[in-house]
Amino acid sequence: MTNYIIAAYDLKKYFPVGGFLFSSKQTVKAVDGVNIKIKENEVLGLVGETGCGKTTLGKLLIRLIEPTSGEILFNVPEEIIHEYEQALENKDYKKTGKISKQYSLLNKKGSELRKLRRYMNIVFQDPYSSLNPRMLVKDIIAEPMLSTGYASKKEAEDIVFKLLEEVGLTPEFAFRYPHELSGGQRQRVALARGISTLPKFLVLDEPTSALDVSVQAQILNLINEIKRKYSISLLFISHNISVVHYMSDRIAIMYAGRVVEEGDKNSVIFDAKHPYSKALISAIPKPEPLREKIFVNLQGEIPNLINPPKGCRFHPRCPVAFELCGWTADEVLSDLEYIIMQRYAEYFKGIKSISIEDDFTLNILCENSNPFDKRLLEIIEKEKNELKSLVSIKSIKQESQNIRVELYRYIEPSMYKVNGSVYVRCLLYKNNDEKQR
Amino acid sequence: METVLNIKELKVWFYTRRGIFRALNGVNLILRKGEVLGIAGESGSGKSTLGLSIMALLPYNAVIIKGGSIYIKSKNTLETFDLFDESQLRRKFSMRKNRRIMNKISNSLSKLRGKLVSMVFQEPMTSLNPLLQVGYQIAETIVAHNSSYLAKRILSRIKVTNSDLKEVLNLVTSSNNVEDELKRYAKNKGLEGIESQILYILGRKDLSRTRKERAILTLKEKKKNFLTMNYLKRVAENRSLGIYSILDRLPFVKRFFSRILLKEGYRRAVELLSLLNIPHAEKVVYMYPHELSGGMRQRVAIAIAISNNPDIIILDEPTSALDVIVQNQILQLISELKSKFNLSFIFISHDLSVLAEVCDRIAIMYGGRIVEVAPIDKIFYEPLHPYTKGLIKAIPKITKESMTLESIPGTVPDMRNPPSGCMFHPRCPYAMEICRKQIPKSIEYNKDHFVECFLYGEQ
Repeated sequence: MTNYIIAAYDLKKYFPVGGFLFSSKQTVKAVDGVNIKIKENEVLGLVGETGCGKTTLGKLLIRLIEPTSGEILFNVPEEIIHEYEQALENKDYKKTGKISKQYSLLNKKGSELRKLRRYMNIVFQDPYSSLNPRMLVKDIIAEPMLSTGYASKKEAEDIVFKLLEEVGLTPEFAFRYPHELSGGQRQRVALARGISTLPKFLVLDEPTSALDVSVQAQILNLINEIKRKYSISLLFISHNISVVHYMSDRIAIMYAGRVVEEGDKNSVIFDAKHPYSKALISAIPKPEPLREKIFVNLQGEIPNLINPPKGCRFHPRCPVAFELCGWTADEVLSDLEYIIMQRYAEYFKGIKSISIEDDFTLNILCENSNPFDKRLLEIIEKEKNELKSLVSIKSIKQESQNIRVELYRYIEPSMYKVNGSVYVRCLLYKNNDEKQR
Repeated sequence: METVLNIKELKVWFYTRRGIFRALNGVNLILRKGEVLGIAGESGSGKSTLGLSIMALLPYNAVIIKGGSIYIKSKNTLETFDLFDESQLRRKFSMRKNRRIMNKISNSLSKLRGKLVSMVFQEPMTSLNPLLQVGYQIAETIVAHNSSYLAKRILSRIKVTNSDLKEVLNLVTSSNNVEDELKRYAKNKGLEGIESQILYILGRKDLSRTRKERAILTLKEKKKNFLTMNYLKRVAENRSLGIYSILDRLPFVKRFFSRILLKEGYRRAVELLSLLNIPHAEKVVYMYPHELSGGMRQRVAIAIAISNNPDIIILDEPTSALDVIVQNQILQLISELKSKFNLSFIFISHDLSVLAEVCDRIAIMYGGRIVEVAPIDKIFYEPLHPYTKGLIKAIPKITKESMTLESIPGTVPDMRNPPSGCMFHPRCPYAMEICRKQIPKSIEYNKDHFVECFLYGEQ
């Protein structure tokens, strides 16, 4: 029976922003409800754009930063995971409490946590800033061994030389300072530090993005070798999808603080289900100049995570978004204003203002009681493909000088099972999920 | 095809306290009109130095060695300068003299920079000025190099009559080759500068047809005061400014006149930005760089680069700081610009797969020399140089079968004391005796496929 090294449930991290002293009200929802499980000996690749919360998630999983809410279980046997999940579904909080008391990473404190730290480590992105410039390489590598009490000072010294050989550096590197090393050598040192306490779980946060292609290949092969030798589970974070595909067994794709698709690497890359994954994967530059280039063009920008879009966070950019995806009145308002006040202004002379009543209703105020509603419906039908938010309009009713626009109510998507081990957070696959159950 | 840039035997060394750093060691390169030439190589191979030397933006400790030449449109930019000889560098080198030479080269190119050649840098956050509005930074370059064009645009709007505009409207709706027709019409009527404004309005997607027509009909502007009109006419015809050059010395007056052109520059900036697919360009021009996302910033940097219709644009790792999706958009934009305006690009990147998306030819650099130049398919499917082969094998590819990455052993040589002979021989799996002694010459192995290696040809 295999163990799960890490199992995180509904993990959230909100960073406070703005405000003065205690009055900060706004939060950046960097990670918002992520479930992630990594088996023993498994490599999970985590892909996403800048600012989607990849690094925050990596740091949360080894408790470098405290989550706002959620649960992280560490090194759990499979049957207990099943028990825990069932208890969660049945809302049997007594049982979940009991399990998390034994396995949770979050209720450990002080020396207990320090002992656990031995089993997890992280390699950072930029080897130029992650190594202390005032320490010798041997001290850098020995530090985690000493601080976790894994080895005594004397033992640590011997291990350092063994580790240096392991990562392909000669022993004289032990007495150098980081500034004397090239980028690739620095990353080797960081890797040696990462594996110095024989951890069971290692987070690699963009370990090769600062390196050249040829050096990158060296480091990737080294990581693979080390992983095989010490049987470490890895969380491999990167924005370079080809690298992640090369390294991992499973891939999770993140967007705006949420995992939108997760599954076996080949089915995620070659048969992506979520519209965002499709766009992301079509955008990967490939070293095949003669291939046919098909791109899924995405409009717009990554959403602001202080006030993320409702429902599915991808819906404002999604090419296949439909009425239940999360449209709210303010999105419809801006598009309606554009149609009525700008693009088709000549048809709508006499419309005074548009206002929001609540999240799902809008009011249009007219100067006279001309029947605008039919023309508006016609134009909306015509512009639906261009202005996506208009699909969410359920009905338009005119009562003399007041037009009432009602919208559909959105559904919050959760992870739906598609096939095998692939999970997608997209409403298009909701029915599929229900059928399988 | 026409050659727009021709570099011959270019050597650029850096004079440092710890010795001479040989960044470029005899680069030969040709850029043709309307092509994207990719330059690839590891960090420290001299890619960026090559870009900077074309722009003459090198620091003062850089020494351009005698014998090299850079022909931009058949004009040698290094011709008139008394450069240092290679042998002089050890004994008779004077930092002060070199500084003077570099200054002169830089000054002589300052008129061409932006007009003939322009450059887009890696980090758009650092290459844009955080204190100035985006529109100002675009307008500034146009005012500096092409103020007569701006003046013509204003004058054409003043000169045009309402009946002319109606005629233009008929022309636009009836003909199918709008661009040429408009240009001809504008030339006949003496209204140069108006065609780009009309084309911009026609190309907008956020206006309905009637609105567009209304926008064209309201292009006509009122006549300005006598002084301004006279100033604009002088600028438009590139005449000497006469009395205005005296007035220009008074700060208030200067600001008054330059503001007219700057305002027009903002208008042009809106057109440029919406050409680069930036939504709501008329709002974006009044924003500051920190308000924009990475992709938008890079588009602004590209807008500055293309604002004066240069022949050559050097892109120094333009997408390295961007995400995959944004990167893809920028790459598509570059291909679009290439086909639309017949521009020539030099695309510097360390990522071969990015180059595969846009380039027509690729040059591989190693140790300050170009070791292989070939059309894109030849580089990827029939590479010749051992270094190119190694680079291509080191790219992780997405395939269903599991694969192993092969890496090139060793590291980039220290260019303060580079290896003798072929720079690559310490890392080369095929290294022979001759490789340690001689530098290989460039040979044309196939048509348009040049390689510097002793494995090929008889040397």
